[in-house]
Amino acid sequence: MTLAAAAATAAHATTTTAAETHGFLSPTGVEIAFLLVGLVTLGAAVVTVTTRQLVHAALWLVVALGGLAVEYLLLTAEFIAWVQVLIYVGSVVVLLLFGLMLTRAPIGRSPDADSGNRWVALGVAVTAAAALVWVVVDAFRTTWIDLDGAPAGSTEVTGASLFQHWVLPFEALSVLLLAALVGAIVLSRKAKAERAAATAPTPGTPGPGPTRRETEGTR
Amino acid sequence: MNDVLDVALRLLVVFVVFLTFPLIVGQTEHKVMAHMQGRLGPMYAGGFHGWAQLVADGVKFAQKEDVVPAGADRRIFQLAPAVALLPYLLVLLAIPIGPGEGAVGQVIDAGVFFVLAVMGVGVLGSLMAGWASANKFSLLGGLRTAAQLLAYELPMLLTAASVAMAAGTVSLVGILDAFEWWWVPWQITGALVFFIAGLAELQRPPFDMPVADSEIIFGAYTEYTGLRFALFLLAEYAGIVVLCGLTTVLFLGGWHGPWGADGLGWVWTLLKAAVLAFVVIWLRVTYPRLREDQLQKFSWTLLVPLSLAQIALTGIVKVVISQP
Amino acid sequence: MTEPLPPKRPRIPGSGLAKGLAVTLRTMTKKSVTAQYPDTQPGLPPRTRGVIGLFEENCTVCMLCARECPDWCIYIDSHKETVPAAAPGGRERSRNVLDRFAIDFALCMYCGICIEVCPFDALFWSPEFEYAETDIRDLTHERDKLREWMWTVPAPPALDPGAEEPKEVAAARKTADKLAAAQAEPLEES
Repeated sequence: MTLAAAAATAAHATTTTAAETHGFLSPTGVEIAFLLVGLVTLGAAVVTVTTRQLVHAALWLVVALGGLAVEYLLLTAEFIAWVQVLIYVGSVVVLLLFGLMLTRAPIGRSPDADSGNRWVALGVAVTAAAALVWVVVDAFRTTWIDLDGAPAGSTEVTGASLFQHWVLPFEALSVLLLAALVGAIVLSRKAKAERAAATAPTPGTPGPGPTRRETEGTR
Repeated sequence: MNDVLDVALRLLVVFVVFLTFPLIVGQTEHKVMAHMQGRLGPMYAGGFHGWAQLVADGVKFAQKEDVVPAGADRRIFQLAPAVALLPYLLVLLAIPIGPGEGAVGQVIDAGVFFVLAVMGVGVLGSLMAGWASANKFSLLGGLRTAAQLLAYELPMLLTAASVAMAAGTVSLVGILDAFEWWWVPWQITGALVFFIAGLAELQRPPFDMPVADSEIIFGAYTEYTGLRFALFLLAEYAGIVVLCGLTTVLFLGGWHGPWGADGLGWVWTLLKAAVLAFVVIWLRVTYPRLREDQLQKFSWTLLVPLSLAQIALTGIVKVVISQP
Repeated sequence: MTEPLPPKRPRIPGSGLAKGLAVTLRTMTKKSVTAQYPDTQPGLPPRTRGVIGLFEENCTVCMLCARECPDWCIYIDSHKETVPAAAPGGRERSRNVLDRFAIDFALCMYCGICIEVCPFDALFWSPEFEYAETDIRDLTHERDKLREWMWTVPAPPALDPGAEEPKEVAAARKTADKLAAAQAEPLEES
């Protein structure tokens, strides 16, 4: 979100707010492409949550995320687009598929793929979407990106705005991610330690923590 | 009109490179591997030292029946080879082989991110193939592919980031413009890590657990026949071309060479990439396959720390040389 | 706890890997050992177990080979012929005449026992090996074919220098020596 917002702000700085030069009724080629890709993305997203084939859902998610990347490209935010592909398509979806394959990934429909909470989920989704659309529309209104001018979303511009105007959120996010990382390590080690303690034969033996440290030292 | 012609010509050249270079690498592998094992390799097809062996193989693959298993997820099964192959074609578009605008398919501003992102997408093809085949071995292969990608994407990214830091740009052309010869020793650790991680991502021996034939037949590609199987193989060799080209561009200075004017830069690029491709084959012949857990351990306990150390080194040197 | 062996030499990490690379590289620069068979015929040593040739004239239809063959792949048919007495008033002799001698090479396991047991040197190993057929029944080769192969049998390899004399030569020499001595004795006596 922060990255996208940063890009948007960067775009904001170099765009014209002159809505009068662009009519809604005479769209350019880029706008038509933007709209079409948007429709495809929306369709893929809807299929993702409605299909009953688990792996298909993950693959439709690829389409949706890829469509989003194309939208970024059309908005001249090249850097964000490639990062989107790298992180979401290249890693998150692979992780998702990995998890699916590791647990349960039947070919064909899963009749129990539906949850009883679907209507609640729909409500939450619609609310979230409405809020987001409202915020974005309210923030940008009739802002247009000048496609012929200097690229507003190039790596240089994005980097500059990220590390000048948005450096605090950026750092806060990295600390958050670091905390998540450390938390994951602590959780996994704790589970291991408990298992080791449960299998320890005598109470007189030292705790698993020091022992492991010792073994690591000798390794 | 001239622009259209220019674009068409570039695309055509990249496409031809995409179709021929993997075959050249494949043929080289046939021959080099054979001689490293004291054999001769293919000698008949085409007359002279079997140069047309892979063409003959292609004809053979095209003749074979395209079988889709009854229990498979038909559409995804058929789509997977294309997903595996196309990303490499796209990546090839962004690799500059010589100085100037004329020697690169398309100058991309965030080139490093582009190539790494799109290369990662190619793995999705293997995953789709592994899942959609309705075969346990394929599924295992897909799982191993995914695990391998997760482990090796990180060091690859980190080392590429190190080069980007050194050059102060993420554009491949920009990196080459900023290149100095002493970057090679400076970034050598990163280069090794990048190359090894790339090998693992391409599932080349000794990191070919996802297709380990003695364990899981042919991993995700077990159920494939004919042309679709050939596409997977082509993807592997296109991957070698891309990896060698990328390593050349990022770490070995691409078109820069001890001598050679501007006109001969592309020779240097091709030469360095060819040497790297030879190393890829050499490693394949020499080393046995790692075990799956060894592979993960190798990445997380050796490559990731090494790449982090490289980044630290890059940062320090960068700060030091920008002081005065 | 056993004492660890003292390290002979400080091991450089990765030296094993480098050694492996060196081995493959060295092999690449050497001449490859592939024999390009259909283009160049292999130089096979005498007594190579390629195929079994039959020297018909030596065969007495003793049937030893057919009986000793572990998988019964030798087929022999024969009949008896009476030979008129050599001297007038002598006895008629009967003689075995070979009608059929065939070896089924689909069954043959190239053990060479038939050649070993043949007391009259009628069977020989030939290095000839290109007799593949498209039908397994065609692998039963008759006497004329076996005879043709006889002509491909190479001369036995020369003896090693300083080797023991072959037995038959030694025996022949002994007889010759005895004969010579017997001829010489009466001369001395007279």
